[in-house]
Amino acid sequence: MSAPTTTPRTKRQAKAALGPYGRAGSIVNDLDDRLGIAKGGRVFLDKIFPDHWSFMLGEISLYSFVVLLATGVFLSLYFVPSASQVVYHCAATATNCYHPLNGQRVSEAFSSTVNISFGVRGGLLVRQMHHWSADIFTGSIIVHMARIFFTGAFRKPRELNWIIGVTMLTLAIFEGFIGYSLPDDLISGTGLRIGYSIAESIPLVGTYLVTFLWGGQFPGTGIIIPRFYLIHVLIIPLVLLGLIGAHLTLLVAQKHTQFAGEGRTETNVVGSPMFPTFMAKTTGFLFMVTAACALLGAFAQINPIWQFGSYDASKISYAVQPDWYMGWLDGALRIMPSWEWTGWGYTIPFEVLLPAVVFPGLIFTIAGIWPAMERRMTGDVMLHNLLDRPRDRPKRTAAGAAMLALLFTLFAASSTDVLANFFHISLNEVLWFFRIATIVVPVIVAALAYQICLEMQGVHGIGRRKRAVVVRRSADGEYSTVASDPRPDDERTEMDPEPVPERIDVEPLVGGAVAASNGAPSPTGVRQVTR
Amino acid sequence: MPGPHHPSRPTRRHRVFLPGALLSVATLGGLALFFPGTGAEGATTTTTTTPAATPAPATTPTTSPNNTPASSLKPTAKGSTCGTVNLKGVSNVYNTGNPNNSTFKHCSGGHIVSYGSGAITYTNPPTSQAQAGKLLFDQTCSSCHGSQANGVGPNGQASIGPNLQGVGTATVDFWITTGRMPAVNVKAIEAERKPPVLTNAQALQVAAYINSLDPAVPAVPTPHLNAADVSDGADLFSLNCAACHTITGAGDALAFGTNAPTLNNKRVTPQQIAEAIRIGPANMPRFSGNLSDAQVRDVVAYVTQNIQHPVNPGGAGLGGVGPVAEGFVALLLGVGGLALICFWIGERS
Amino acid sequence: MSDDQHEPTRTKVPMPIAAFDDPHLGDAARNPQRVEAIVGGIFVLAIIFIAGFGAAYWQNWDPWILGGTIGAGLFLLGFGLTAWGKYLMPQGPFVEERHVLASSTEERDLMSAALVERTAVVVKRRKLLGGLFALGAGIFGIVALFPLLRSLGPVPGDTLALTNWRKGTRLVDSNGRPVHLETLVVGGIMTVYPRGMVNTDEGQATDQTVLIRVQRTDFTTVPGRETWAPAGYVAYSKACTHLGCPVGLYEQELELLVCPCHQSMFNVRNGAVPQFGPAPRPLPQLPLTFDANGYLAAQAGYDQPVGPGYWTRSNTT
Repeated sequence: MSAPTTTPRTKRQAKAALGPYGRAGSIVNDLDDRLGIAKGGRVFLDKIFPDHWSFMLGEISLYSFVVLLATGVFLSLYFVPSASQVVYHCAATATNCYHPLNGQRVSEAFSSTVNISFGVRGGLLVRQMHHWSADIFTGSIIVHMARIFFTGAFRKPRELNWIIGVTMLTLAIFEGFIGYSLPDDLISGTGLRIGYSIAESIPLVGTYLVTFLWGGQFPGTGIIIPRFYLIHVLIIPLVLLGLIGAHLTLLVAQKHTQFAGEGRTETNVVGSPMFPTFMAKTTGFLFMVTAACALLGAFAQINPIWQFGSYDASKISYAVQPDWYMGWLDGALRIMPSWEWTGWGYTIPFEVLLPAVVFPGLIFTIAGIWPAMERRMTGDVMLHNLLDRPRDRPKRTAAGAAMLALLFTLFAASSTDVLANFFHISLNEVLWFFRIATIVVPVIVAALAYQICLEMQGVHGIGRRKRAVVVRRSADGEYSTVASDPRPDDERTEMDPEPVPERIDVEPLVGGAVAASNGAPSPTGVRQVTR
Repeated sequence: MPGPHHPSRPTRRHRVFLPGALLSVATLGGLALFFPGTGAEGATTTTTTTPAATPAPATTPTTSPNNTPASSLKPTAKGSTCGTVNLKGVSNVYNTGNPNNSTFKHCSGGHIVSYGSGAITYTNPPTSQAQAGKLLFDQTCSSCHGSQANGVGPNGQASIGPNLQGVGTATVDFWITTGRMPAVNVKAIEAERKPPVLTNAQALQVAAYINSLDPAVPAVPTPHLNAADVSDGADLFSLNCAACHTITGAGDALAFGTNAPTLNNKRVTPQQIAEAIRIGPANMPRFSGNLSDAQVRDVVAYVTQNIQHPVNPGGAGLGGVGPVAEGFVALLLGVGGLALICFWIGERS
Repeated sequence: MSDDQHEPTRTKVPMPIAAFDDPHLGDAARNPQRVEAIVGGIFVLAIIFIAGFGAAYWQNWDPWILGGTIGAGLFLLGFGLTAWGKYLMPQGPFVEERHVLASSTEERDLMSAALVERTAVVVKRRKLLGGLFALGAGIFGIVALFPLLRSLGPVPGDTLALTNWRKGTRLVDSNGRPVHLETLVVGGIMTVYPRGMVNTDEGQATDQTVLIRVQRTDFTTVPGRETWAPAGYVAYSKACTHLGCPVGLYEQELELLVCPCHQSMFNVRNGAVPQFGPAPRPLPQLPLTFDANGYLAAQAGYDQPVGPGYWTRSNTT
């Protein structure tokens, strides 16, 4: 439809001159003249997204990252990234500050964070939303990663996406650790002290690493706070944004995987269209993720740093754990026996190196190279667009379950004191329990998972409603079973997938739906398929 | 048999029930687990032998070096002489619980009635109450601590409970008013706080009796909180107390089955806090010369104000145990809840 | 309709609003007007909440009201939009064919050829140039790291082994008050710093020391340290030998210092030897003495580096 050549004189003529698609059409034309977006744009709008619920877990990560960015910008307007000491002032009659800190020497970072919490309107809510969404961000990454792992979505051609994902997980964990260390409070400062010592323990380069980063022997010149601020606010978010972009681009280019089922093959994608359906659902989900962060930020207090006080390297609180995504490292540190080696004038603190440097390095390396390892172990180099059910790959499922069990056991091991207190058991006994559990639990879980997979494979129709079995007893006392008649909802009805039509008739959708509500079969082109 | 009465597809109820049940369980479980109350209350069940803590026999007070703190005024001793007092439990730093080195001291009939400073007044119950106290002691305490309260049993062997002679009235008052004594489980490594058996008045009577056997200090402290510096208290708390009791006063398990009790319990009174600081009960260290009365008062004020009534503008406190509880909430409620929403949005095939 | 308009030639096809017989959508899809009414109601509620957030913010109400209103409002907005998408928009199922990712063998060969043959031009004919360029780029890569590494500092050297405790350094508490014979009673503990280092980062992180009175008379922790604990006062470095946390948790009856971070347990009687937990070495002990004024002072500094282990630790003893 070309633009009119005569200048319109009346409103009606102007409207008519726009063509049958009105203003939207003229915008499309203008953009297409300049950017050539019409053809690709339509392909994009027709894009099909498979609908399985577990495919949305990655969206939780994406949208909580958006919340992190938005709330982070707000916080960065008020936070002062400086470790210089100031005296915190809070007059007795003031309501926008925390009185028990009055007169104490605190760092500016801490003071500005307390100010955000008490003195900035909406500041505490945004601060808490930021922290809750960080926990949700890493949590959903793990859950999403587990889904990818257990369904084999990391296989060819998606190995690169998997590696990008593992990298993003590592970055997310560092980002969170650095982020909650910025306020320089007693508890996060203790975590930084521990981080310093862990880095220091690395042979040869450890001491250089830490004096370089911190600016000297702990706590250094205080420059660690502004450096961490820069890393947290600029460097890692930029890298993450780039990686997210790459992650999504690969997803769009390679298309999403899907489970096997009616009409689903290795060479197609079945689901709902991008516009309007998927966009509506995903935008709605964005709001719901934001809402979840807001509700948690409203009703559940997190990281009340004013109760902890500013960091002082000679003060300590009991019952300190890092945030949950670092908990597995803390647990590993606690259960590790004290193996330090000294010889020839050198010291290697294995009790620090092994749990805090070697072990996580091993875990992330195994995670990163898993696609290659699995290719080698199974000999499967085919391209896969259909997903496995976890039960169809019992060894992989058992390995993944064992890994998750190990990480969870270590996470639980980081709360030995809390558990000992809660269950009234001796702290020492709890620790020994975890030393043993760390080895035993993953093995048991792997064996169990393997067995369960095998059993579920053997059972047909598991998860579906089973046909009732009628037991008959003959006059002689013999028992026999007879399958009952199928119930009406034992039959699954599903439509044959059809390509997205190029033009649609809007009327039946918005007006004619009433006619269809009496159960009449859907209009042209679609068949019912009875299983 | 089965007729075609079932609906032709799963109803909405089914789709809501399971996710809703899961979410409710997760929420209730999470809330129940992590709301305040994770302190070590109630009877403990661990059984570990304790090293018998027999106090050294009462000695005369040690002489102080020739540089007693500069500002030591002679305490005013009203009334008649004060008699001898077992001072082994206190230092001679001024205004740290020593009657001979406090701002004031009142005596009567050869006994210390009260002493202290503007921050804390230490008071002994009247000696006339000792008789009533002896009756109570014989009924409630002698079976473990010996009929003479000296840790000697009826046959001359060591009794289960330690020697109480020379512990001072503050000690007796603390253990009884917190309910730790009389002990229920004598084999437990530490007696736990529980509803007290004797009333406060009865506790003071028993204290009067014990004190009559071997008068000692510290006496029962009454902190005067009106002039307290809560900020100083917060600073001192984080340096001296948080290492065991946690920075939020939630309490936690210590080594070999011992524990530091929670301070969030509203039954913890200012008097008991001051007593605990000065006497160092069980495994708690004993703070004497290193904390002045004013400092103890500040700590007590901080605990009763901000520990027991924490400023939680951000919402539910989640038990004050920090990231462990927060992680559970984030994963179960946050990620779990959102995953349930995914379950609603998407397909299930 | 104006004269300019012309109908597109392709026919319009009714797009199924939802799979009416899709068991997952149930009767929601069959009663779209009911769904519309419900979603509309949800949106109205959302508007009320979001406007409520505006009011709460304007009035500076508590954070939970701010968060509760915006959270509820956004949730309802999102829920309504998602329900709209799920029940009132075309679900399909629609199918899209995947394009083959891999290019044809011919394309691949051409690509490989382009890489290999054109590289050969460089390698075969201009080896010297290629080599020199590679050398230059390599050296650049190395020296580019110099500012990152060398401008950062300082070099650790001996600093990790040094504290500010010397012969005669007086012990003071966090208020600067010195310690004398009667400051602590048996079972007492306090944190001390070298005089002059109170409220400094170094004093807190490196010099921090716990002072415990274990008994009233001199005692020996380890043979060779007979004079180190006069009148029962014993001092250990507060920096845990595991990861540097302050070991401030003292259990008086057990005579045990417990590190709050990872629960290493040190026996104060025998030189703070760790008897449980991950700490590898005893806490260094500070030798004490009463100076001429009767105040506690150090006889000398620590006899080893304090805190956690590191590569050159044993070299600096």
